Amino acid sequence: MNQFLLVRGRSHELLQFPHIVEIGLKKNASIQFGSLPVSVSQCIRLYFIIDGRFEWEVAGRPCTAYPSDLLYVLPGQTFGGANGYLDIGSLAWIFIEDANGDARRWKPGNWSSLSEIEKQTIGNILMMNPFGHLCRVADTGRIFTQLHTELVTQEIGYRARVNQLTDELLITATRQVTRQNVAGRDFPKIFLQLEQKLRQNLSHQWTVEEMAASVGMGTTLFNERVKNFSGFSPLNYLINIRITEAIRLLKKPGINVTDIALDTGFYSSQHFSTTFKKLTGYTPSQFRKKNSEDI
Amino acid sequence: MECIISIELGTNAVRVYAFNMEGGLIGSSKGSYPTFHPVPDFSEQDPEQIFITMLYVLKNFLSEKIYPSGYHVLSICFSASMHSLVLTDKKGAPLYNAVTWGDNRGKKEARTLKETPVGKEMYEATGTPIHPMSPLVKIAWFRNNEQEVFKQTTKFLSIKSYIIQQLSGAYIIDYSLASATGLLNIHSREWDAAALDFAGISGKQLPALVPIANADCKLRKQYQVSLGLGPDTKIIAGSSDGCFATLGAGIMNGNAATVTIEDSGAMRVIGKEILKDKGGKLFNYILDQDYYVSGGPTNNGGVIFDWFASQFGEHRAGFDPEAATADLLMQASQVLAGADGLVFLPYLLGERAPIWNANARGVFFGLNINHERKHLVRAVLEGILYEMYSIGKMLLKHRNIKNISVNGSFGTIPLVTQMLADMFNKPVSASPNVSSVSMGAYLLSATSFGKFSSLENAAKSVTLPAPVIPDKASHDTYSRHYPLFERLTVKLGDEFELLAQL
Repeated sequence: MNQFLLVRGRSHELLQFPHIVEIGLKKNASIQFGSLPVSVSQCIRLYFIIDGRFEWEVAGRPCTAYPSDLLYVLPGQTFGGANGYLDIGSLAWIFIEDANGDARRWKPGNWSSLSEIEKQTIGNILMMNPFGHLCRVADTGRIFTQLHTELVTQEIGYRARVNQLTDELLITATRQVTRQNVAGRDFPKIFLQLEQKLRQNLSHQWTVEEMAASVGMGTTLFNERVKNFSGFSPLNYLINIRITEAIRLLKKPGINVTDIALDTGFYSSQHFSTTFKKLTGYTPSQFRKKNSEDI
Repeated sequence: MECIISIELGTNAVRVYAFNMEGGLIGSSKGSYPTFHPVPDFSEQDPEQIFITMLYVLKNFLSEKIYPSGYHVLSICFSASMHSLVLTDKKGAPLYNAVTWGDNRGKKEARTLKETPVGKEMYEATGTPIHPMSPLVKIAWFRNNEQEVFKQTTKFLSIKSYIIQQLSGAYIIDYSLASATGLLNIHSREWDAAALDFAGISGKQLPALVPIANADCKLRKQYQVSLGLGPDTKIIAGSSDGCFATLGAGIMNGNAATVTIEDSGAMRVIGKEILKDKGGKLFNYILDQDYYVSGGPTNNGGVIFDWFASQFGEHRAGFDPEAATADLLMQASQVLAGADGLVFLPYLLGERAPIWNANARGVFFGLNINHERKHLVRAVLEGILYEMYSIGKMLLKHRNIKNISVNGSFGTIPLVTQMLADMFNKPVSASPNVSSVSMGAYLLSATSFGKFSSLENAAKSVTLPAPVIPDKASHDTYSRHYPLFERLTVKLGDEFELLAQL
C-alpha cells in the first residue's frame, strides 16, 4: 500500500463525504519528538496497524498495538503517543464525525445504510466499551485499501462504495468488540455478563437486537438461548430485573416513585405502576407503605 | 380437579412443579437467577431477584398451564438449597446480597473453630460439619468483617424464610433447613446456646422454628389477587432440597442410599438414628420428628463435566452444549473402565465431603502418549464418581447399604448410572421423576391432606424402575484404581495448600 492523506476541506476527493474528517496511510520511518501529543479527539477515530509496534495512551490508559490490531478512539476521549510522538511503523486511519449533537451518544449518520436500530446499537456497543483495542482484525487492511482506491479513482458508484466500506469497517469493529468480550462458549458466563450490563444501564431502553449484539450473537439464536437458559424471553428477563431493582429502591425511603420508575427503565410512572401491580398485586406506593413499618 | 404445587428455590433457578393428587406430573416451569462472585471466594445472589423471579414464574405457570386446565390449587410447598443466609434490617429489607452454600468467605472462621474442642462439640450438637458453607460460620464472618451490617441486622434468615416472609409476613424456618444452619441443636431441637454464642447473636434474631408440614402462614391478600389463589390455598413450609430428594427417592429404610448428582451432588441415607462420625465429616439433618437424613455433599458433580464439555467438547455447527455433551459421552463409552490408567481428581471447586478442603484442585494423573481425548473424557466421568464413592465408603461403615437410588440430571445419564453400579458393586435404580425434590414435596403435601397415613407409607408409593446390575469385570478394575485416587487425594493435600498460598 502506498502512503496517502486526504483531509476534509483540503482534498477534493472528500467533497462527497462530509462525515470523513481525515483518511490516510503513513509509513513512518523516523521518530519526530512532539509529533503526536495527547489531545482530546472530537470525532471517532479508527487506526489500523500494518507494520511496527505503537505505544499509545488512550483515555488515560497505556495501550500497545501490533500489526493487524484495530484501535478506535471515541469522541471526547484523549489520545496520543505514550511518549508524545508517533512510533516507527506503518498504519492507516480514518476519522469520522457525525453531527448528532450529544458526543456521548455517537452513532453513524445519514450516510450509512444501516437501519436506525443498528446504528444505535453499534453506537451503544462502542460507547459501552471505551477501551477500543481490538486484536488481529486482519481484514481491516483490505477495507482501507479499497477505500483509498474508490476515493482516488472515483469510478461509477464510488460514493455508494465508500459509504458501504465505511459501514463495513464499523461493523467489523463492533463484531470484534463483542467477540472479544464474550467468554467463549460458556453461555452461563455470557449471560452473567449481559445481566451485569443490563443492571449497569437499567434506565436505557434496551432492544433485543442490542442485547444480542452486545454478547456477539444473532437475535434468533439469542432469543432461543436466553429462553432455554433462564426460562424468560429477553424482554421479560429485563422486566424482571427492572422490578427487582425497583423493589430494592422502594424499600429505601427518600427516592420518589417517579424517579424510581425512570431509573429502572420504565417509560413513565404509570407504566411502572401498571407493570408492578400486575405482578405483585400492590401499587408501588402501597408496596412502599407495607415495607415501612418496623417489625 | 385439585393439584399440589411445589416450589424449589434452587442454586441457579426457581422451579415450579404441579402434581395431581395421585402424584402425576401436570407441568413445570423455571426461571433462573444469577450468582455473583465479586471476589472468587464469594458467592452471592440478589434476594429481591429470587423473590421476583419466583413470583413471575409462579404467576405465569398458574395462569398459562394450571387454571386453563381447570385445576384448583390446594397447596404450595417450598423447598430450598441449604445453608443460605439473608440479613435483614428492622423493616425487613435485605442489608446484603444473599450468601449461598457455595460461598467460602468464612474459611478462616471455620478453620479456627474446627480445631477447637468447642468446634467438635458444636458439630455433634448441630449435625452440620464445620465449614464455610454453614450459616453459623458465615454469621461469624459478618461479625468479624462487616460490623456495620452485622449491627444493623435484625433477622438472620435463609432464602426460603425470606421468600415466605415476603409472601406472608411471617418469619419461619422449618426444622430441616434449620438443622443445616449449624445453629440448631438436633437433639433438643432448639437453637444451640454455644453456636449462638459463637455467632454472636440471640435466638430472637432467628426465624421461628416450625415442622416441615406447618401450614399456618397465610398469603397476603395482594398476592392472592395477583396469583389468582384463594385464602384456602395452604402454604406448606416444606423442607430442604436434600431431605426432600431423599424422601422423593422413595427410600425410608436403613439398607438403601440415594445419590443425587446435579451440578453438585450428595450421597445420603435415612434413619431414626444419627451417624456418629468422629472426624466431623458427615452431616445429620432433620427430616421430620422421627427421621434424620445423613450423608456427605460434593461440590464437583455435573458442573465439572459441563466445564470439560464447554472447554474441550467439539462444537462443529456453532455452540451446542447438548450435542457436544452427547458426543463426549459416546467417546467415553468407547473406553474401558479405568481409562487405561488415567486418573482424574475432580476438585475444581474445592471439595466438601469427605476431605473438606476448600483449597483442593483438579488433577489429571498418569497421562501417557497413547491417551486420546476419549480417555480424558472417561477419566473425568470416573473422577466425579470416585469422589461419590469416597463418600459412600464412609457411609458403608455405618450402614449395610444393599441398593442405591440415583437422581439428578447428571446421575441419571445411563452411562453414569452404570458406572455407579460398577463402582459400588450394588444394583442402582435411576429415579424416573423429573425432580426427586418436588416428588418429596408432593409426598409431604399429600400426606398432610390425608392421602397417605404417614411419610413412610407415602415413600412406599414411589416405584423405582428395575435396577442396573453391576458388571463384575468393571468393578474389579475400579477396585484396583480407586486406591490410587484416594492416595493421590491425601498425598496432594500439602501441595494444594502451597498452591493456595502462592
